[in-house]
Amino acid sequence: MKSRAVFVSVATLAIGLFFPAVAHANPLDTFGFGSREAAMGGAVSADVSDFSANYYNPAGLARAKGLELSFGYFRADHFLKTNGRENSVDPVRGLVAGIVAPGKLFDIPFAFGLGLHLPDDRISRIRALPQTEPRWELYDNRNQRLYLAANLAVSPWPWLQVGGGLSFMAATEGTLDISGDANILSPQNSQLRHEVDADLTAIRYPQMGARIALSKKTAIAVVYRGQFQLDLDLRAKLHGDLAPFTTAFYALEAKSVDAFLPQQVVVGGSWELTDRIRANADFTWVNWSAYISPVANLAVDLNIPPPQGGWPANITPPTVPTPTKVVPIAMHDRLVPHLGVELEPLKLRKIEGFVRAGYEYQKSPISPQTGITNYIDRDRHAFSAGLGVKLLAPLRELPGDVRLDLHAQLSELSNGMTTKTDPSDLVGDYMAGGHIWNVGFTTTVGF
Amino acid sequence: MRLGRAQLAAFFATAFAATSAHASPEDLFGFGTRSPAMGGTGAAHAEGFEASYDNPALLSLSHERRLSLGFQGATYSLSASGAGEPGHVSYERAKGILVGAVLPMPFGGVLKDRIAFGLGAYTPTDIVVRGRILYPETPQFALLGDRSQSLGIRLGLGADVTHGLRVGVGFAALAELVGEVIVATDASGHVGSNVDAQLTATYAPIVGASYEHDLAHGLLRIGGTFRGQLDARFGVEIDGSKLSTLNIPIFNIAGLAQYDPAEIALEGAWANRDWTLALGATYKHWSSYPGPIEPTILCPPDQPDCGALQPTKIKYSDTLVPRVGVDRKIEMTKSAVAHLRVGYWFEPSPLPSQIPASQAWNSPAQTTTYVPTRFFDASRHVLTLGGGLELGNPMKHSMPPGEEAKSRPERPFNLDVYSQIHVLQPRTVTLERGPNGEGDDPGFGDAKLTGTVLVFGMIAGAAF
Repeated sequence: MKSRAVFVSVATLAIGLFFPAVAHANPLDTFGFGSREAAMGGAVSADVSDFSANYYNPAGLARAKGLELSFGYFRADHFLKTNGRENSVDPVRGLVAGIVAPGKLFDIPFAFGLGLHLPDDRISRIRALPQTEPRWELYDNRNQRLYLAANLAVSPWPWLQVGGGLSFMAATEGTLDISGDANILSPQNSQLRHEVDADLTAIRYPQMGARIALSKKTAIAVVYRGQFQLDLDLRAKLHGDLAPFTTAFYALEAKSVDAFLPQQVVVGGSWELTDRIRANADFTWVNWSAYISPVANLAVDLNIPPPQGGWPANITPPTVPTPTKVVPIAMHDRLVPHLGVELEPLKLRKIEGFVRAGYEYQKSPISPQTGITNYIDRDRHAFSAGLGVKLLAPLRELPGDVRLDLHAQLSELSNGMTTKTDPSDLVGDYMAGGHIWNVGFTTTVGF
Repeated sequence: MRLGRAQLAAFFATAFAATSAHASPEDLFGFGTRSPAMGGTGAAHAEGFEASYDNPALLSLSHERRLSLGFQGATYSLSASGAGEPGHVSYERAKGILVGAVLPMPFGGVLKDRIAFGLGAYTPTDIVVRGRILYPETPQFALLGDRSQSLGIRLGLGADVTHGLRVGVGFAALAELVGEVIVATDASGHVGSNVDAQLTATYAPIVGASYEHDLAHGLLRIGGTFRGQLDARFGVEIDGSKLSTLNIPIFNIAGLAQYDPAEIALEGAWANRDWTLALGATYKHWSSYPGPIEPTILCPPDQPDCGALQPTKIKYSDTLVPRVGVDRKIEMTKSAVAHLRVGYWFEPSPLPSQIPASQAWNSPAQTTTYVPTRFFDASRHVLTLGGGLELGNPMKHSMPPGEEAKSRPERPFNLDVYSQIHVLQPRTVTLERGPNGEGDDPGFGDAKLTGTVLVFGMIAGAAF
């Protein structure tokens, strides 16, 4: 039995490593996944068994008692300001959904899970800003992305669950070619064509976790989430005539990192203090120091020979641009504490009720922006609360349970001054801070 | 200018991301391993997660949770010969991972054992998606080669309604990109830009139904599936008109990266204890296909016939694909069952035999000219072959007494393989000159098309 259990555990993880999932730079790091978990400050790595285990700890999937389907929605609105002016950072909003399908394989508890966050407006967004332009680096664009993950988990012994999966992302490489005749006197008569030849190449990274029950009331967990970066390797060529004057050739090669998610290690614990009170704590180490600035390294070739007789007086041709020196972003590793508590004040035969609260603190990983770059960030204190209700066997057709969970989270980004070393800096000193509201719900049908 | 370059790079990033539109290799080869081994039939007999594509109504046949994992690959040997033609037209081999799951919903009461959910995905191993829109004079089997190089995802829900009637719905999802890039000179004299582009989801519905009736010597089932048109466009405008005193036109970098036509599949299948026979046809609405490329310069609304180059319009035709498939079940032991499968389908080409020329700019002559439109395709005869094994639990004997009975299902493991050979029916297409005989490319005239495609796949599954 023991060797079989080990075999199945290893086999499951091996399968997990080949099992595809898609996960982009992660809005769930900031806003949580599932209302119960968001309300508890994300401190659930040792206390999760529903669809959100796909993100918090895949091992938790093997704790599910039956098939579960979950569906919900959340919306996070940013109220972030610099020098008292609202910065119009777009909200993050969209549905969350997931499946947990437990069963037995070789008579050992086994589970398969899927988790999804699908933004309302888009799957992902590319927004390019120069390194000098102020932006909330961790909130402006990184969270505007799809999250989709699949995992497998087993429980070879009642006190141990292990799980994992392999997520993949897409890096980009390709060529764009525009050719023909650009008529600068009558643009709509330009004789231009274009060609695109590009691949999104697969980037894979692992995620895995384990949970150990130390007793009936105490459990600990460890989770690893791999790092990924999305390279952009692009070549573009524009060549042809600038009618009626001359010819033009423009070639560009850009190498950059479009998105970067640092690796993370989570260590957590869960304690059932009484029959109706549970307390959790997670500590997440985030390898922010590996972060790569999302600014492109460029090589440009521009050739527009002057026409015979020179350019007309009213036309100033473009000149060969000088190379941009990309200033690396300096970031520091951080240990992010998450705390959560869950009370069960209502426990009847057909209905149970829950009250939850949580807190997390992330010290800003970004070094003070005293130079030409303006990657704004501030320390974040996130306070959360939530309610839950569980209906037990509400209908003959639903012999399991139906759960509804609500959450609200307030993130306070403390006001602070960014002071430039160069008094002639074009952006200058600025005060920045604000808060973020995150509210949502999740419904789960358990069979 | 440095700001402008950075933004331009970002634009190209978005333009390429646009090609992250996905398509369906399943439209070329079928989905899973059982259906592709049986001539691409399945609207009346699909099993497991394959039904999420073939006919979601048949997901309701599944009464056990099953997870499947496998791989699929294809190699191309395509040729275009004739004056000015390259002979061999190279395409990278396709290879990818198949993943599927079917999850019966354990409702109680009147819904018991009636509803199941299924999902399936094919993801290439090396790439997620290939977006290739080439100049029309480049030889290309555009409806065949790169269409297999993309992620395909299908989800479905099937219900056993009553008295042999089953219905199902599902969808396929792709991503497309829209956005704009405005490059301009700001007040300080620096060149800056605004890049805003996003990937958005586009969906196509799948609706299916089936009706089955017990006969004296087996079961007869009729199935029908509608799959909506699935396309992934990209469209990004670059506006550099305010960049300098040069009156640069607005570039419309746009096209259709991937496209599956709307389809209706109708099929009948007869099955008894040992045999499954299926016969059907799929109607594909190719006449709505607008072609892959859009003009680089859009004419203003008040000047619809401006002098900008326009991509040539090709009249694609609707097609009807006949299919036949057979599955022979052989019970070797109580815990081991083998399957042998064969099938055939004929895929007519939607491409006409006369292909009009495309406009291009002749720089040395400083005039518009015509080039051959080398969009190639030919009808395909597809022979399919496959096999499968259903196996019992090898650990059963080590289980304590009484545990064996609880272990379900009887044969929880399966292994299925298939192979296909697509033989292009030799065909001659005429690459026409311009409307007034323009064009001096040696490639105008006839091109003879031949080729084969080899496909293989394998899946292992486990019920849990």
